[in-house]
Amino acid sequence: MYGYAGKILYLDLTARTHRTIETEKYRRWGGGHGMGAALFWDLCPDRTITDGRHPANICCVMTSPLCGTIVPSAGGRCEVTGVGVGMDPISWFTRSGFGGRFSTMLKYAGWDGIVIAGQADRPVWVDIRNRRVSIRDAAGLWGLDTWTAQQEIWRLAGVRPGTRKKWQDLNDPAPSDPRPDSDQGRTTQKPAVLCIGPAGEHQTCQSALIHDAGNGAGQGGFGAVWGAKRLKAISVIGTGSITVADPKALIQARLVTKQKYVVNYEQPDLRSWSRLGGFPRPIIQVPAPTKERRPQSCQGCINGCRARYNVGYGNESACQETSWYGAYSRRVAKSQAEDIEINLRSADLVQKYGFNSFVMQTGLHWLEHLYEEGVLGPGRRVHSDLPWQELGSLAFAEKLIHALSTRTDIGLDLADGWVAAARKWGREEDLRTGAMQFSYWGWPEHGYDPRAELEWGYGSIMGDRDTNTHCFNQIFTTVSAAFAFGLPIRVEAEEMVRLHARKLAPYAQDRPEVFDYSDANMYSEAVAQLVRWQQHYCRFWKQSALYCDLKWPDFYNTSVPGKEGATASPDAGEHVFWNAVTGDRLSFTDGIALGRRIWNLDNAIWILQGRHRDMVHFSPYLYETKYEKGELFPFYMWPCRDETGKWSYTDLMGRVLDKGKFEEWKTIFYRLEGWDTASGWPTRRLLESLELGFVADALQAAGRLGKEDA
Amino acid sequence: MSRWTSPPSRELAEKLLGTVPFRDRFPAGRLKPPVGLIPSPVRGLREAHLLLEPDVRSLPGLNLAALAAWIRRVIGDGELAQALENENRAAHSYVDGCLRAYAVIGDRLTQARQVLDGTAGPDGVIPDEVQS
Repeated sequence: MYGYAGKILYLDLTARTHRTIETEKYRRWGGGHGMGAALFWDLCPDRTITDGRHPANICCVMTSPLCGTIVPSAGGRCEVTGVGVGMDPISWFTRSGFGGRFSTMLKYAGWDGIVIAGQADRPVWVDIRNRRVSIRDAAGLWGLDTWTAQQEIWRLAGVRPGTRKKWQDLNDPAPSDPRPDSDQGRTTQKPAVLCIGPAGEHQTCQSALIHDAGNGAGQGGFGAVWGAKRLKAISVIGTGSITVADPKALIQARLVTKQKYVVNYEQPDLRSWSRLGGFPRPIIQVPAPTKERRPQSCQGCINGCRARYNVGYGNESACQETSWYGAYSRRVAKSQAEDIEINLRSADLVQKYGFNSFVMQTGLHWLEHLYEEGVLGPGRRVHSDLPWQELGSLAFAEKLIHALSTRTDIGLDLADGWVAAARKWGREEDLRTGAMQFSYWGWPEHGYDPRAELEWGYGSIMGDRDTNTHCFNQIFTTVSAAFAFGLPIRVEAEEMVRLHARKLAPYAQDRPEVFDYSDANMYSEAVAQLVRWQQHYCRFWKQSALYCDLKWPDFYNTSVPGKEGATASPDAGEHVFWNAVTGDRLSFTDGIALGRRIWNLDNAIWILQGRHRDMVHFSPYLYETKYEKGELFPFYMWPCRDETGKWSYTDLMGRVLDKGKFEEWKTIFYRLEGWDTASGWPTRRLLESLELGFVADALQAAGRLGKEDA
Repeated sequence: MSRWTSPPSRELAEKLLGTVPFRDRFPAGRLKPPVGLIPSPVRGLREAHLLLEPDVRSLPGLNLAALAAWIRRVIGDGELAQALENENRAAHSYVDGCLRAYAVIGDRLTQARQVLDGTAGPDGVIPDEVQS
């Protein structure tokens, strides 16, 4: 099996034992999420559990064949699956992902993934050195923050500082290692550690798994899953390698990526419109604190979206965690420099506590609202001793994150779910007014409002949580930025939708109308096809093959004549790399079909957990309040057609979702998926066509199989 | 001398540098790809100024016409509001409008600070050498 290590590690934390599962058995799921879902299906003793902290939960940490290779922006991702924590009304079987070097090291140690079952009776950590696995006592690690815990594990593992000259000798050669004996079992690398901090130890829904300084699997609450299992950390170091089926083809595709799709370094187009091909840039959400910095990236990535700074804070943090406190820090900061420092030190805080800062994106606004309305605070209905008048200061950020990570103060109620806490506090009305913008399944709204950006909202509510898949929303950010600056529109609306639609096989190839988000088309079959494509594409190519969400898919690319991006291309598309590594003959649409199978397995698990179409609703504020112009930005530009069929970029601000029409859209979506439109449950015919007859059997036994259409 | 506004009174200067009640906050946000649009409401003119400060990583998200109206209604500074409206009309793009607003508000904040720390003259006029 080219690309695979060949073994999956099964950890039984209850018995403190481990065994090996042959990867071959799960090969048809590709890797990552597909394998994780299939392993959950096979190994979870109770698929109806609705709290990830249940001892029956099976948490998988999975790689893909591409991990540890040079596939651009795919070699360093890792997928986490299992039942989540803190969602509403049910914590679904869900997923998260993180980057860095953990998946690479796991592959080099000889493992395609880790299945974590059971619950230890006292804290443990797992020490993996190639094929040698030890479940070790973590009494000395429990209570440590994520950074200190990793440093302590490196010490326990005997890592010597100064890796440039110092070799680690594992004295345990990896079986797959083709190098001469003299080189086996030795490396200059230090173990890759994935661990929880106080937020996970206290089993809070906003807890994350953290690896190195700033790679986190946040959404889903997997820190709480590990905390319930009393699993502090998994450390892995490997000295093996990955055998690639066709190294020449792999190198060739990588060279094509560099030469054709990526911005030319000699004459850089700094304003190129592309995802994969964009000029490498950090995704820190505030200006860098200093010019004295080095880029840092996941294994094999061509971007380097994070950095390490000589100021010593904010290292490896990027994206949302670098701005979760920004709306408040600005209130106390006396300068932009101070504002940046507070933001980056606040990022360090959440990394160390193992805290998923995403919940703060709209959650902290809600808490502030409660404080300012006189509901929350000392001696108030929602009692809190936190010094809310200091909101914005770094000291307050630490007190708040500490409370939310340790179930103290308001953290006691919020730990089990924010919407549940709202209910307990008698604040359900806030979901109606929009004071609490938690849009779907008890999770906060992302920065792409479902009333404007349909595929994001619809995809989230048809799935398990905030979808967090940036397949299309670069249309909004790129075009809106061009409008904001008054810059030339490099890809006009009609060309933009045509370039996208070219890649949307098999559901919407050359059907540009799927991107028409106008009022007239927003509940259409066309938009349903787009959402299907997104869900199926992501389930395989992003979450199982593990292409990075921020670089793939690449639909349009102004670095290329004709502006056609790399996605699905015959020279450097997703399938080209996959086939070079694995030796498969997978087409791009074969991958979409695999994604559909995985998506249907997920849906079956949700159904066993209790899902029915009657519970598939957005929060009321999305149906009852307008997305106001200027509320967050003055316009939301998106390609739309007018009544004559002419395309233009149109502002989507100022609208609400119509609940009745969205119900009709759900019916369309279910029918296209082959699901019973009354229940949202799949039919036997569909499942058998996807080679999921065993899933149909289980749903039938549970009385939850969809009815065939007459 | 300011290009846009005459020096504020002491009372207005205090309001310009102060914080407004939560219910009077000005709705705003930031566009930060790939995170998206992040709520970032403003509670005072100093915050508005920081929100508008040029930033290579993101764009401020606000309705500039509504900002002027808010300054007139909540802060009570009609002169500043008028200056912002004039600048917004002259702007050739949204970002240009933000840059102009940043300059006007920054200038107004400087005036307010000078009034309060006594560097403005007895007639409220701030000497040019202090402004520079």
